[in-house]
Amino acid sequence: MAEITDITNEFIRQEIEEFIERPDERQRTIGTFAQACPEMQVIAAALIEGENETVSRLTRQALDSGIEALEVMDYGLIAGMGIVGIKFRQNFIFVPEVLACARAMKAGMAHIEPILSAAGVDPVGTVVMGTVKGDLHDIGKNLCIMMLRGAGFVVHDLGVDTSPDRFIEAIEETKAPLMGMSALLTTTMPNMGKTIEAFIDADLRDEVKIMVGGAPVTQEFADDMGADGYGKDALACVALAKNLLGVAVKS
Amino acid sequence: MPTREELQQRLDRISNLFASIVAHADEQSTWRCPYKNRFDRCTAQFGCRNKRKAGAAGELPLCIGDDKLDYRPAWE
Repeated sequence: MAEITDITNEFIRQEIEEFIERPDERQRTIGTFAQACPEMQVIAAALIEGENETVSRLTRQALDSGIEALEVMDYGLIAGMGIVGIKFRQNFIFVPEVLACARAMKAGMAHIEPILSAAGVDPVGTVVMGTVKGDLHDIGKNLCIMMLRGAGFVVHDLGVDTSPDRFIEAIEETKAPLMGMSALLTTTMPNMGKTIEAFIDADLRDEVKIMVGGAPVTQEFADDMGADGYGKDALACVALAKNLLGVAVKS
Repeated sequence: MPTREELQQRLDRISNLFASIVAHADEQSTWRCPYKNRFDRCTAQFGCRNKRKAGAAGELPLCIGDDKLDYRPAWE
């Protein structure tokens, strides 16, 4: 059986000792990292710290040195994210930290993407995402983006306070067949409808499926404003995105 | 060169990891503001009455919100 002393990286050893309480998880994590080469342990450590530039650089370096993509994923990126998931579940870290780690994971995965494409694993689809004009509440949108990227979508994040014109520009630039808008405030919710109207005015409404979400948004509101779908949370967002793209492909 | 199946298996693992994270985020947001980091600093880009000015330059503002109350009415 692997021992914690088999792990060379001190930071990883400390993370396991301090944060992984369940014996089965602790042993499984020790087993994983005991098999990981020092380079992978450093990638995992940088990911746990949310250092996206370091994860990007080390992932590139590892692939260039001949380390297999599967090894980088198994023992660097996924192993690191596994510890992040456990720390989050145990409430040692919170949503802002998790999102930073997810960004670090994305930075590493960017170097794996050409390998995925070469093997025939294509992106599920492309999505443009943003919070509507006047709305700066982005946690829900960011969780949706994390989920969508994890599910294999290419996501163009327009950030917060996104004007209808900016949504239109992004759809024209990226040719994305799908767009997601979020709003948290009842005062900014009507801007979803205004954005949809802007797409109609620009004669682009048929080019893109539009999904909406956010705490005050309901299916009824989504239907009234003419959206193609409503997702109540980040999990529903992925199912909805797949569904809408399936419809788009069939038509 | 890894096969399509081997790579897809890893992507599925990432997707499952994120799904459990999102499920917990939902639950956690019922008792703690999701914009508050582990140091009780506010990461929100919008105004909130629970924010207190940060001390050092570049430091995030401290959140003084009481998580026993619903934090959402404080958002602006």
